[in-house]
Amino acid sequence: MRQGVIEENAGGMWLWLLQRLTAVVLIVGLAVHIVATHVLNLGELSYDNVAGRLAMPLFVVVDFALLGAGIFHALNGLRMVLLDYGFSGRSKTMLSWGLFVFGVAAFGYGAWALWPWLTA
Amino acid sequence: MSQKDRETANVGAGLWKGAGMWAWLFHRVSGVALALYLFAHIWVISRGAATGAEGFNTMFETLESPLFIVLDLFLLAAVVYHALNGIRVLLFDLGVAIRQQKTLFWAVIAISVVVMAVFAYISLSFIASHGA
Ligand code: HEM
Ligand code: HEM
Repeated sequence: MRQGVIEENAGGMWLWLLQRLTAVVLIVGLAVHIVATHVLNLGELSYDNVAGRLAMPLFVVVDFALLGAGIFHALNGLRMVLLDYGFSGRSKTMLSWGLFVFGVAAFGYGAWALWPWLTA
Repeated sequence: MSQKDRETANVGAGLWKGAGMWAWLFHRVSGVALALYLFAHIWVISRGAATGAEGFNTMFETLESPLFIVLDLFLLAAVVYHALNGIRVLLFDLGVAIRQQKTLFWAVIAISVVVMAVFAYISLSFIASHGA
């Protein structure tokens, strides 16, 4: 029964595991990100300030890790919430694909957003 | 919904009773809020690519006004609670401390309050020293 529920409801073991792994990435990444932007550079944020951070490989890695892990964790999390309130069969398949396509697009858009700083 | 089998060791999930329920409910609400913020945030950062340095800087002058710095504190509260309770749930997944779930919930709340006091101090002293 339990095994069946895992496969039916949660999208299987891999989604469950990825939700955990991305959570760990997010704890570390957000700690760095928020201290760097909100605490150390509070009031200093500007185009040049961002450029200064993104000139350092560490922040490029952190930003892309947050972008990828964050989008997956957020959309898979929303999926977990929505599945509690309905969605089965065809509508569930469409929900999953819709979120997947949205996630890939959001990642592409987020990478494009950082591009001017990365290529400056 | 309460009787539904779940894939998660999150003890309060779907229950309508006790500290575990609040832990789960706050986790869910903060998670959804963070998810919405994330996509708004990506859009904000994308103004750099879309409008160039000028537009980006003008926007950040608004975002660093006292109003937005205070709004940021609510965002940070969601991050801090969700992160700490996330660790609590991850421990349960590893089979650790499930029986101490209530104590851990209060520990999450206590640490959140302390961390938020530090953030609030930083933000409010910034606002005080830079004027409205
Ligand atoms: C007070 C809180 C925050 C501030 C002041 C802030 C500020 C910034 C800034 C200035 C950037 C531009 C890149 C850089 O300077 O590194 C950025 C990028 C980014 N932030 Fe945040 N951030 C905050 C919270 C968050 C949270 C909670 C998340 C996760 C949900 C997050 C996820 C990201 C991502 C994914 C990027 C890359 C955006 C893109 O690729 O378009 N940030 N943030
Ligand atoms: C800071 C580190 C984070 C940790 C440790 C963490 C941890 C977790 C864990 C363990 C779960 C699964 C809960 C369960 O199975 O019942 C979860 C769910 C979720 N997370 Fe996170 N998370 C973090 C950051 C984020 C961020 C940045 C977002 C949004 C962008 C987010 C959005 C969500 C959502 C929407 C859910 C689903 C909630 C539910 O099913 O009730 N989380 N998180």
